[in-house]
Amino acid sequence: MPGTPHHTFEEHVSEVRLRIEARSLREVFEEAGRALAALSAEADTEATLGVGERIELDARDREALLVAWLNELIFCSETRKLIYDALCVEHVDDRSLVAMVRGRTPSAVRTAVKAATMHDVRIEESPEGFTATVVLDV
Amino acid sequence: MANQGFERVGPVTYELRGSPQDRAPARVFADEVLFEKIRGDQSIEQLLNVATLPGIVGHVLGMPDMHEGYGFPVGGVAATALPDGVISPGGIGFDINCGVRLLASRCKRAELGDVTRLVDELMRTIPAGFGRHGRLELTLPQLNDVLARGARAVIEEHGLGRLDDLERIEDGGCLAEAAPAEVSDRAKERGRDQLGTLGGGNHFLEVQVVDAIYDAGAAAVLGLFEGQVTVLLHTGSRGLGHQVCTDYVRRMDETLGRHHIQLPDRQLACAPFSSAEGRAYFGAMCAAANFAWANRQVLTHRVRQVFRGLLAGEDLRLVYDVAHNIAKIEVHGGRKVCVHRKGATRAFGPGERDLPVAYRALGQPVLIPGSMGTASFVLVGSDAARDIALASACHGAGRAMSRAEAKRRMQGATLRRELEQRGIVVCCPSNAELAEEAPAAYKDVERVVDVVERAGIARKVARLRPIGVLKG
Repeated sequence: MPGTPHHTFEEHVSEVRLRIEARSLREVFEEAGRALAALSAEADTEATLGVGERIELDARDREALLVAWLNELIFCSETRKLIYDALCVEHVDDRSLVAMVRGRTPSAVRTAVKAATMHDVRIEESPEGFTATVVLDV
Repeated sequence: MANQGFERVGPVTYELRGSPQDRAPARVFADEVLFEKIRGDQSIEQLLNVATLPGIVGHVLGMPDMHEGYGFPVGGVAATALPDGVISPGGIGFDINCGVRLLASRCKRAELGDVTRLVDELMRTIPAGFGRHGRLELTLPQLNDVLARGARAVIEEHGLGRLDDLERIEDGGCLAEAAPAEVSDRAKERGRDQLGTLGGGNHFLEVQVVDAIYDAGAAAVLGLFEGQVTVLLHTGSRGLGHQVCTDYVRRMDETLGRHHIQLPDRQLACAPFSSAEGRAYFGAMCAAANFAWANRQVLTHRVRQVFRGLLAGEDLRLVYDVAHNIAKIEVHGGRKVCVHRKGATRAFGPGERDLPVAYRALGQPVLIPGSMGTASFVLVGSDAARDIALASACHGAGRAMSRAEAKRRMQGATLRRELEQRGIVVCCPSNAELAEEAPAAYKDVERVVDVVERAGIARKVARLRPIGVLKG
């Protein structure tokens, strides 16, 4: 089970199933955001990070909140043409989230992600930490 | 397993017998080989989940290219009774009115000259891939006009195409029920600079040659002849459509309790068509569909410009344009229903009023793109398609392998060389993305199309062989 948070992309015939393991809910959300950035494009680490953007979200439960978080990052990324790999979740509970995010210009494009879906989205908690899965439409 | 219980009831038809009271019956079109592939993923289970939606009329249907998606399977069709059966954004998908448009040139392959030069020119002209924006940046009133009027708006207001193009587009390139006010500001922000862009994933532009004619009479009506150069465009409503789906899946997920709806999969979030949420989503979906038709119209104009620049006097003619991710209000069995087609193409038979006058005696052209490097097909819908399959056909070859597995099995550079050795010029941002869309990652499109024909849904008219691919 989790030490440092990490993600894997699991098999799905047509889409991408993202799996996160982390010690806390905050880490789940941060790692999910970093995974999305890694899937979408290669960040130009030489590029200066943009200004911080504050994100505040609420949802009916934590699974819907995870989907809303990823969809917010997809929206920001597509409209600002930036990759958000600097993410700080300041507060998260089962129904709300506050985060500061900073984007940078991608150096190479990878996978165009259309949306995070509600299909089979799960966040499971155990004594060792959290495991989350979410399917991304690509 | 959830996919057990299907019986073969015809040469290419399987049905689930003894459906319980709380689930509609299910039918899958496939031969033995394709049915085994379909059983190999979660698509049957997903189709049976769809069968539990409130208000389903008749069978839920799986096309021969069906594969696992999210919520609805890709290649799934379901009709719900109006006014109170549900509409589900997941039954249309994020890429609202993803579809295919076929353009036909006057020239044969030998007259085309250097395909590499043509593909390079198309690459310079057509923005493709993540984050690429088009040359047309719309003001909000202009965008609302596109959402309301679809392809006609970009022809009349921006001079991008000809008015007679509209006759050859499904629904004339505009769903009149569009409600731009129901499209969020965020969706409009995503789409504002994306008109005239191909996008990423499996979207593409292909230069092709007609290499087989199966029905000479039908081909003549469609203006297709052996050796002819054609262009196939595959794209949709881009970020605008994606955001419309995102917005309404969330909204409907939050109102399920109010409508007393319980679901086996949250991505099937839905609302009665007649409810405020249902009507708002349908208006927004129609607007996004109009944006997609406008997008393919702008791309058509750019492709025509490229062809005119390289071939004096060439003016590509629009053969037809079909949607394969959409919900439509149609009448089936004397009943008004909302038909969800998620990765499925409408296949009207002869005589339907929605068809272009020139094609009305023939039936609707059904455009089935193959995977990259394999043939695409032109079919025409049959009279029987209504009763057999809610006037619906497949939408492509259908994925058979995950992107990760495709990349493990195939090297993009090797694939590029193989395609080039077969006379196919490929333009793709990266070798990794090329490998993801390798032909081996898909089912055999010829087998899929044969099932559609054997089922009596549509008949083959022509086969199109790729010679140049611009991958999104």
